[in-house]
Amino acid sequence: MRPSRAAAVHGALLAISVVMLVPFYWVLKTSLTGENIFQYPPALLPRAIHPFYYVDVWYDIPFVRYVTNSVIVSAIVVASNLVCNALAAYALTLRFRGKRAIIGLLLSCMLIPFQATIIPAYLITKELRLLNSHLGLALPLCSTIVCIFVFKASFDAVPRSLIDAARIDGLPEWRIIRHVMLPLSTSAVATTVILSFIWSWNSFLWPLIVIRNPELQTLPLGLSTFLSYMENTTGALYAFCIMVLVPGIALFLLEQRRFIEGLTSGATKG
Amino acid sequence: MRRTLTRIVIGLLALGVLTGPVAAQQKKLSLLTWNIPIYKEKIEGWIADFKKIHPDVTVEWFDKKGPEWGPFYQTQVVAGTAPDIIDTQGAIWLDYAANGALVDLTPHLQRDAAVKDYYNPKFLHTWVYEGKNYMVPFYVSKTLLFYNKTMLNEAGITRPPQTFDELLDAARKMTKGEKSGFMTLNFDWLYWPLLAMNGVELLTPDLKKAAFNTPAAVRTVEALAKATADGTINKVAWTGRWVEPNNAFASGTVGLYQAHSPAFFYVRGGGPWINGDTLGATQMPGGFATPNSHGLGISKSSKHPELAWEFIKLATSEKWAYTFGKNFKLFTGTRVDGRLMDELQKEDPLAASVMKTQLEHVDKLVATWPLGKDAQVKEAFYSEFQAAVLGRKPAAAALAEAERKVNRLLAR
Amino acid sequence: MRRARGTLLIWAFLAPSLTIFLLYRILPLLWNAALSVQTWSPFRPSAFAGLIHYEELLFHDEVFWTSLWNTVVFMSSSPIAIALALGLALLVDTRIRGRGVYRAIIFLSYPLMTVAVGIIWRWLYDEKVGLINYVLLSLHLTQRRIAFLDSYEWAMPSVVVAAVWQIVGFFMVILLAGLQNIPPNLQEAAALDGASAVQRFRHVTLPLLRPAIFLCLMIGIINSFTSFDLIYVMTGGGPNYATEVLITYIYRVAFVLSKFDYAAALTVVLFLFLLVLTWLANRVAGGEAGAVDAAE
Repeated sequence: MRPSRAAAVHGALLAISVVMLVPFYWVLKTSLTGENIFQYPPALLPRAIHPFYYVDVWYDIPFVRYVTNSVIVSAIVVASNLVCNALAAYALTLRFRGKRAIIGLLLSCMLIPFQATIIPAYLITKELRLLNSHLGLALPLCSTIVCIFVFKASFDAVPRSLIDAARIDGLPEWRIIRHVMLPLSTSAVATTVILSFIWSWNSFLWPLIVIRNPELQTLPLGLSTFLSYMENTTGALYAFCIMVLVPGIALFLLEQRRFIEGLTSGATKG
Repeated sequence: MRRTLTRIVIGLLALGVLTGPVAAQQKKLSLLTWNIPIYKEKIEGWIADFKKIHPDVTVEWFDKKGPEWGPFYQTQVVAGTAPDIIDTQGAIWLDYAANGALVDLTPHLQRDAAVKDYYNPKFLHTWVYEGKNYMVPFYVSKTLLFYNKTMLNEAGITRPPQTFDELLDAARKMTKGEKSGFMTLNFDWLYWPLLAMNGVELLTPDLKKAAFNTPAAVRTVEALAKATADGTINKVAWTGRWVEPNNAFASGTVGLYQAHSPAFFYVRGGGPWINGDTLGATQMPGGFATPNSHGLGISKSSKHPELAWEFIKLATSEKWAYTFGKNFKLFTGTRVDGRLMDELQKEDPLAASVMKTQLEHVDKLVATWPLGKDAQVKEAFYSEFQAAVLGRKPAAAALAEAERKVNRLLAR
Repeated sequence: MRRARGTLLIWAFLAPSLTIFLLYRILPLLWNAALSVQTWSPFRPSAFAGLIHYEELLFHDEVFWTSLWNTVVFMSSSPIAIALALGLALLVDTRIRGRGVYRAIIFLSYPLMTVAVGIIWRWLYDEKVGLINYVLLSLHLTQRRIAFLDSYEWAMPSVVVAAVWQIVGFFMVILLAGLQNIPPNLQEAAALDGASAVQRFRHVTLPLLRPAIFLCLMIGIINSFTSFDLIYVMTGGGPNYATEVLITYIYRVAFVLSKFDYAAALTVVLFLFLLVLTWLANRVAGGEAGAVDAAE
């Protein structure tokens, strides 16, 4: 790439990065200094940095327990999403009667807002005897339509010849998914892992409704502790938000490698 | 790698299924409170005491913040597993009582005459709907007028305003640059004293029709709109929720602030300028105040209403009411309040001067209409009122529209 | 015989996902639909009420129309967000150094809890102490402070900016996944044919990104749901319903005003409205959810 072109790209990306980072800078700064964000003029540089708010977060809520619960639930959600969505997406690449109807149905399901389904979802979970359980927490998120379509688009792009060859070789369908489709859909897998993790990890309203047992509370529910009655524990609140954010970003960075493999490599498809 | 992952997943799934609910051996009571996690120790104290008297009962406690309380409680009600004892704030209990979700406590109160006398009758009365008493007081508060003495002095005002016109006049004198003269909280009808002191009634005595579309009301709203437009009334009064108005007053830029007593503790925490010489507390002109108290009640679906009543009596008993009030400098709507007041006077005179207003003029409580549709009427009225005071609509049109909406609501 | 087994397999593959959707989306929607033609509250027997709720919301509820309009406004910001995300996706897809870092920075906003996003943006926009007003005043771009979240004119755009800030990373990730599906030999062939970068983009990249773009548009349509916490925390729907979207209104009607039956009717109407929009979007994208056979 020509240096002037690279410079232009860098310039644009840098400008965007600054805009994207401004709110973060503030969240991070306040979490490290606990400065009153309601003072004016706002202090642009942090003074007196100390990590004690992070320590506060650790002790003010049963942090380890919350994280453990969140991890268990998110693991269930991610695993389930990978399996269910890949299977469903593969089915949607084949021709069968009612395919258009199913696609229409899935798109329509996206249009149903969660906030309007809380009560029936609760009643259904109660019938399934899954209230107050990790599986009950995970179940509504165990398959998501966005990820099905991401997989489908990826599977659609796999050359017919490869699939046909595998079929001729006598591979059963699920093997085809595992050994032909998935390896060529690394960024779809990465996307599904990242997104389903984030949706599960940040899920707040569902755990609020479904969990009565304090042993099973997940991390976002700790938020209420920091949005206290007095609402002046902003340092701890932001420290809490940063701590909740870290696993999502860490996962993204880990999965990035899969992304990089799949993109601009020019060796996977075609 | 894949195989290990699969094994882990299966293990987690099994874990998920196994950590399901376990059948209860003991009797269980559940208590749901409204945003009072800082009272954790005391509430655990109630639970411990209760356990001594009733060893076969376990009590579980949930606390939810305001915006989450509704969805949680309502979902539980629909599922038939509502918490036995609930603590509500403000007027939200009315919806539940009107929908039959609460146990009528009148027979319990009548049975235990000593208990009934123990509660302050005026406060107790704020939880009566259709002649039935649904809750008992647990933590009472009502609105008062805070004033920034420094700002008043600078503007040459010698005493807190005694009438509505004096109020606006004083506010106008104090408005300068960044500073504004008056501000109020606006949730839960807390702004109503401004209208009450001008003789405005919300509804007819039979609670069937709107009665607020009067020339007096129009004049009042117009005056408020004009004052908001020229900055005399800080706009945050009409658009802010809890944090913004408190912060504004705490920053020392507002002269007069109508709020309920909990605001004092928030504001004192955020405003280092506050002390006995700089902060004053008094009644709003006319002594009118909107209560915003916490009450305890029992859910209709409770399997142990008698035990729940025992628990409530314990929680509001002299011992605990005194401990509560003492620790957090609040009043409980019970006989204990007199003693609390005396002690507060000695220990924290400034807080005492604020809290004194809470026990005065209890006969001038306004905005306590026992309406089953309170939340809807409030929304219908405030949306028009807010539009008018923010200058979006002329006062007369707004009040007429509000009247139409409220009448429609009440007719259905 | 083989056909039948194939079909059975297909439905078996679809079953797990469909079960979840049946339980947690379709049945709840039907519950709402059934409730919308009744009058109901817990502890009171329900009564069939016909279409009174629908009549109420269509003819007597101005908040419904305001929030519907606001929802449309909110949705209209997504094409801009998608275009922006597409630009970013293309930029980070190039062979510059540190593209991983840029990608991470742009995506960073998405995993942040929406409540946190709402709180920090509320502060940024604050009239008295917010950073944006501070910067505007310091750079002499304005004379007076702007009440972003308290004024009718600025409230919605302000909320939209915050929502776009949060979702642009998400769109970027979807589009990046879509870029992977484009066989690079097509690009090379076009280059050999003498097509410029712009032409390559228009005739090779863009058509093949249709599925990903369609997906982003769908997500844009439901963006007001995903931004629920953001709007609730930043403005609570105010001032005076200026930022009230249908989903916040439904939530308020259900859980603050305790009118579940009315909320159910609102939900059904919202669903039908979005259904129509989706059908239109599908037609515009060429049908079949924008799917394209890359082998052609």
